[in-house]
Amino acid sequence: MSEQVRTLAWLVVPLIALVVIVVGLWPADTEREPEARAYALAASLKCPICAGESVAASQTDLAEDLRRLIATEIAAGSSDEEIRGMFVDSYGEQVLLDAPAGGLGVALWAVPVLLAVVGGFAIYGLRRKEPAATEQ
Amino acid sequence: MIAVLGYAAILVALAGSLTLIFTGVTASRSEAKDPRSVRAPVLMLFGGGIAAFILLEIAILTHDFSIAYVAQNSALATPVVFLVASGWAALEGSVVLWGLLLSVFTLLVWRRVWRGDGLGLGALAVMGAVSVFWFGLMATAANPFALCTEVANGFCSASSWLPVGDAVVPPDGIGPNPLLANHLLMAVHPPLLYVGYVGFTVPFAFAISALARSEPGKVWLDRTHRWSVIAWVFLTAGILLGGWWSYEVLGWGGYWAWDPVENAALLPFLAATAFIHSAIVQQRRSMLQAWNFVLVIVTFALTIFGTFVTRSGVIASVHAFSQSAVGPALLVLLGVVVFGSLALFAVRADTVASVPRLDSLSSREGFLLLNNLLMTLFAFTVLFGTTFPLIIEAFTGREVSVGQPFFDRVAIPFGLILLLAIGFGSVAPWRVASPRIVWERSRFGINVGLAAAAASVILGVRSVLVVLVIGLAGFVIGSITHFLIHQSQRAHIGGKTWPQAVGATVGNDLGFWGGQLAHIGVALVAVAIATTSVLAVRSEVSLAQGESAVVDDYCIEYRDAFERTEPERLVQGFRVAILDRSCTNELAVLEPRLHEYPKFGQIIATPDVRVGSVEDVYVTIAGADGDAMRFSVLIFPLQWLLWFGGLTIVAGGLVALGRKVRAGRPESPAEETQSEAHV
Repeated sequence: MSEQVRTLAWLVVPLIALVVIVVGLWPADTEREPEARAYALAASLKCPICAGESVAASQTDLAEDLRRLIATEIAAGSSDEEIRGMFVDSYGEQVLLDAPAGGLGVALWAVPVLLAVVGGFAIYGLRRKEPAATEQ
Repeated sequence: MIAVLGYAAILVALAGSLTLIFTGVTASRSEAKDPRSVRAPVLMLFGGGIAAFILLEIAILTHDFSIAYVAQNSALATPVVFLVASGWAALEGSVVLWGLLLSVFTLLVWRRVWRGDGLGLGALAVMGAVSVFWFGLMATAANPFALCTEVANGFCSASSWLPVGDAVVPPDGIGPNPLLANHLLMAVHPPLLYVGYVGFTVPFAFAISALARSEPGKVWLDRTHRWSVIAWVFLTAGILLGGWWSYEVLGWGGYWAWDPVENAALLPFLAATAFIHSAIVQQRRSMLQAWNFVLVIVTFALTIFGTFVTRSGVIASVHAFSQSAVGPALLVLLGVVVFGSLALFAVRADTVASVPRLDSLSSREGFLLLNNLLMTLFAFTVLFGTTFPLIIEAFTGREVSVGQPFFDRVAIPFGLILLLAIGFGSVAPWRVASPRIVWERSRFGINVGLAAAAASVILGVRSVLVVLVIGLAGFVIGSITHFLIHQSQRAHIGGKTWPQAVGATVGNDLGFWGGQLAHIGVALVAVAIATTSVLAVRSEVSLAQGESAVVDDYCIEYRDAFERTEPERLVQGFRVAILDRSCTNELAVLEPRLHEYPKFGQIIATPDVRVGSVEDVYVTIAGADGDAMRFSVLIFPLQWLLWFGGLTIVAGGLVALGRKVRAGRPESPAEETQSEAHV
């Protein structure tokens, strides 16, 4: 393979790949299937009588009933928020496995982000102050 | 009889470990520093640990139901494999296994301690202190040899504190927890995790010894390198098998649920991963001395925390199999480890500061630091999320839950940045990686990544996240492969054939290339996690006998039902055929089952899986509609890649064990050969 062909290949291959990716994904993530929605919802709700299992994972009869309830509600056209609201009304706030939004729930996100910034600065601070030596 | 002998063995081990603390400390500060002075306590600890374990197994295998643990965790009808596994399946037995491993590791460490080796003798004293805790637990709150003193409904219902007095012998035992006696994997998964957990006691002990003796530097790292990698390999394999077990047995169609106990196993794994990476930086560039002490202490503390979560029941979890007085004891140990180590660390702070600095953020060590940042930050976030409900409830009384949705969302950015860091970090040179060198070395990988992403789009993947992960994984694998070929080129030009040249390159630096193999495994696992979670098809079909329904590209047909009685359980099975979409060609016949355990009043739905090279078809019983059965049919694309990638990570760790490290043993002709063998 001659040098020019090689250079050309280095340019053309990624370019074609990029075009394929962008075109292929352009109308990406259309409406999700009801089953996928139901699973995601069930996975985000705690099974009220289980030890630390979600409605999606538990094998109890109650979890089974709740999964059917979610499926029925989705078929009836309820939104995810409406279904979650139903669960909170019945079982209280702790049925939501997602970090509580607002209030103290902010800490759950803010503390790790803060630590990331501190850690980043710590690594930055480890740099040698004078110009770097020659490379390997 | 066995109970008395077993309890005596525990006391011998306890006496041995107590003595080991004092003889170890004295010997390490003495002039001679003679390993023979700790020989008796080490052998007592070892002998007691082995004997306690063997006696418990004998008691279980001979159905000695006068011992409460045996009566409560095994039965006459339990198959032999699960009888053996009963030895560690419940709380007291798991403590015995822990003690066994600790005593074996102590003996192994002692065999590698030489005359004048104050660091090693000090480490043995620390191991003695840790052993005191575990054997003390067996002698008090978690006595595996307690006698059964009361029988209710034919089963042992109460036990004595000490193994003396009159025992009541029930006619049969209750048997193991059905969830744990349902699959062979459950016999293997806990011991693997335990070897990993207990293994980190060794680097921890050497670190504490080095701190106490004001002997920083890299000697303790060099000497415990193998221990860390072995423990890490076992921890990885244990977590992997746990996921596999969950997938094969639990029937909800997943391998990871961010359950508190799963998180508790992940935490030491993350900390240990950070530790093995930062240890390399200190060994090669003399940086991060203090940080390595912190990481090994954190890793060890997290193994205790993991056991605490599993055994205390403080955090609700399906895995928290028992609740007992062991919880508070573990909490005390955790407190002693964390505060004791940190106090010692603070006292020695002036001796552990490292001088050398980073030449450039863009360098091998810079990327290893990025790994450390990602791993520790991820570990912290998982720990914070797992304990968050407890913290909130303690301070505000509000009950909240943190589960899968939160952890999933956190894991995605971490995973993506991690793949990027692995790709560049694997090929970056030490000290300074100029943009030109980084570009030259990663150009090929970037193209592979783009091509892989484009190929996945052409094959029909429409999820941005999955395409991104495939692209990054392609970049990682492409970069590493290209780097290997690049490094082997000189040997090839020098006259070797390609396989010889590659072999020579890898053989010259097993530590590095083992790590790269593990990195390839990480990339494969990342792809599998993305495809099996985002692209999974989940559906439920209700079928009468003989009916069929189409799910995705398959036709699912309910053939017939069967029943059989097995030891300890009733099996109700259903034959479900998987055919191609046109319902003509049969691909497989699956037998999802319901296992009923009458003694426990428990029914467990066990799935059956058609493992495919492209995707798994996973069928489990969801319920009954009159005469019809409802089956959950789940399709997981590239599920096999998860197990394969996980095994690749383990294989990478094993290869890295071949790395040669000088152990700092004094060179004398007589000892030289021995020392080489032990490094």
